[in-house]
Amino acid sequence: MAIRVILADDHPLTRAGLRDYIAKERDLVLVGEASDGDEAWDLIERERPDVALLDIRMPGENGVSLARRIKESSLPVIPVMLTSFDAQQYVMASLRAGARGYILKTVTPEELSRAIRVVARGGLYLDGEVARSIEDGDSAFESLSGREREVLLYAARGLSSKEIAKDLIISERTVQTHLASIYDKLGARNKTEAMLLALKYGIVALEELIE
Amino acid sequence: MRRHLLILLTVAIMIPSFAALVLGGIGLVQHERAMERVARSYVVDIAESVASRLDMSWSRARSFPLNDRERFLRLRQVTWGLSIPGWVAVVDVNGTVLVSTADAEVLRLLWQKGIPVGSAIEVDSREGEKYTLAAFPAGDTGWYVVAAVSWDKLMGPMMRFNRWPILVGLIGFLGIVSVLALWKWLVAPLRVLGNEVSSLQLGKDIPQGDDPSAVFEIRRLRQVLEQLARGAVERAQLMKQYVGDIVRVQEEERSRIAREIHDGPLQDVTALIHQIRLSRMVKDPKNEDTRHLENAEDGAIHAVSEMRALCDELSPPWLDLGLSQALDELTERLSRHLGVEIPVEVDCDEELPADVTLSFFRVVQEAVHNSVRHGRASRVSLRLSCDNGKALLEIADDGTGFEPPGDFEELRVRGHRGLANMSERMSLIGGKLEVGSSDEGGTLIRCKWGPTSSSA
Repeated sequence: MAIRVILADDHPLTRAGLRDYIAKERDLVLVGEASDGDEAWDLIERERPDVALLDIRMPGENGVSLARRIKESSLPVIPVMLTSFDAQQYVMASLRAGARGYILKTVTPEELSRAIRVVARGGLYLDGEVARSIEDGDSAFESLSGREREVLLYAARGLSSKEIAKDLIISERTVQTHLASIYDKLGARNKTEAMLLALKYGIVALEELIE
Repeated sequence: MRRHLLILLTVAIMIPSFAALVLGGIGLVQHERAMERVARSYVVDIAESVASRLDMSWSRARSFPLNDRERFLRLRQVTWGLSIPGWVAVVDVNGTVLVSTADAEVLRLLWQKGIPVGSAIEVDSREGEKYTLAAFPAGDTGWYVVAAVSWDKLMGPMMRFNRWPILVGLIGFLGIVSVLALWKWLVAPLRVLGNEVSSLQLGKDIPQGDDPSAVFEIRRLRQVLEQLARGAVERAQLMKQYVGDIVRVQEEERSRIAREIHDGPLQDVTALIHQIRLSRMVKDPKNEDTRHLENAEDGAIHAVSEMRALCDELSPPWLDLGLSQALDELTERLSRHLGVEIPVEVDCDEELPADVTLSFFRVVQEAVHNSVRHGRASRVSLRLSCDNGKALLEIADDGTGFEPPGDFEELRVRGHRGLANMSERMSLIGGKLEVGSSDEGGTLIRCKWGPTSSSA
């Protein structure tokens, strides 16, 4: 059965290109297009597609908030961000909002179809250009200790070292030591990358990370 | 000499004035004493000479027996012809005046028991007039010759014509009074004014507009100074407003341009990439056209990444995500580009206003660059905390540090705009920027924002 997809982007030329990308794949079918957030929501409610490709910046409701609305309404629709924003913080914001994929608009046709298939299967797809270290990192990572995993999850929820220290009843310095060790083991350069890498390696589940 | 002229001048007037006052006093006392001596010797002389004459005629009269009346006549002869200032009288032991010069009743009033005989003394009459008086015994007649002069009547003119010590004293006194006035109304207010002006921060302080204890010229000077200072303060405020407007307009413009690039050309080129890829899919990879398309695609991809970088530099779209995430993104990028470690600690659940977020963001951007460029830091740590609508951002590095300037404007004048800009940014949102030393010996920049730190 073909994967039903909708595309929401305010730029007609972009939509045209992506439409053709999708049309090339036999197992994908584009069931609707929207040029702003409100239209996109109507389309999602009406068509109940398997995957919704959403631009982050759109007139009306933006993509991240649409993803959150889908999650809150428990619709069986998988939001995927399709955007020009290459900031890792948008990846985190999108994942927290319920998106299962993050793709830049400069994506190749092959990547786009792969992404749609991965998320439709229940997986997570992040664009290599946003999280570059995720792409070129070999998967030879050291496994995290239980405490480290715990610290990473707390940090992922946006808690400061001080708060983590308080919650886990350890010193702030210990929290920082744990974080440094986590970065080192995963080959991450910062917190966001550590989280994305932990997701990629399956050290943490997306649900754990965003709860 | 010129530096202390006013003090020297004051002293220069003060010394002769004092000297004159003292000299006048001494002169007065000396004069008084001289007059006393003159009066004493005068009365003593008179009393003595009359007494001796009386004694002589008395001895002669004894060889020629005379009756009382003749005796008395002789006595009168002795005293009659005297025409002198003052009074002379002959009294017996009981104080009864036997004979006297005209108007000598006054002597009876002055005559009292206990007056020493043979020397002069000063006596005050009941009316307070001063007299010098001398009594001499006239041989063995049993009578006394009393002579007196009134200070007022005899010496009066002499005293009057010898008032120079008083005059000198008066001049001295006037001198001292004018020196005090000079000090109180001119020198002291001038010195106060001088101190005020030397510590005056033009554009910030307004000096006292009037000094009631100063001379007219200084008061007018103060008025003018106050007006000038007021003008400077107004200009400074206007300047601040201008700068604020410029920064605001610049930010608005940057964000508008970034948005337009992002929504316009960036989307267009992205669409172009799609089209190139689509056309490449139907071409034979070995075809010459495919090679051209590949080049076009590479160029377009390059253009997209350049435009993204331009947007980020102008006004990054991720600022919309809020300060905490914007800081994460910024520091992750900076740490990649500059090769420094930038740990971020955020303890802030509050949503800060967009202009505050932007200002903090710009300060961090500038501060991290400064730490690396000027302080050669390898680690810059950020700490953001919020509490009840107040926000505190600390940026500490392990660089070489520097001596914080007293005035950021001074740095601006010297061409170092970084700190001045950061400080300006904070003051525009009503916040404050402080510069100090970090625990590691580097620089610590502390930005405070909130209702209490509002300087506006």
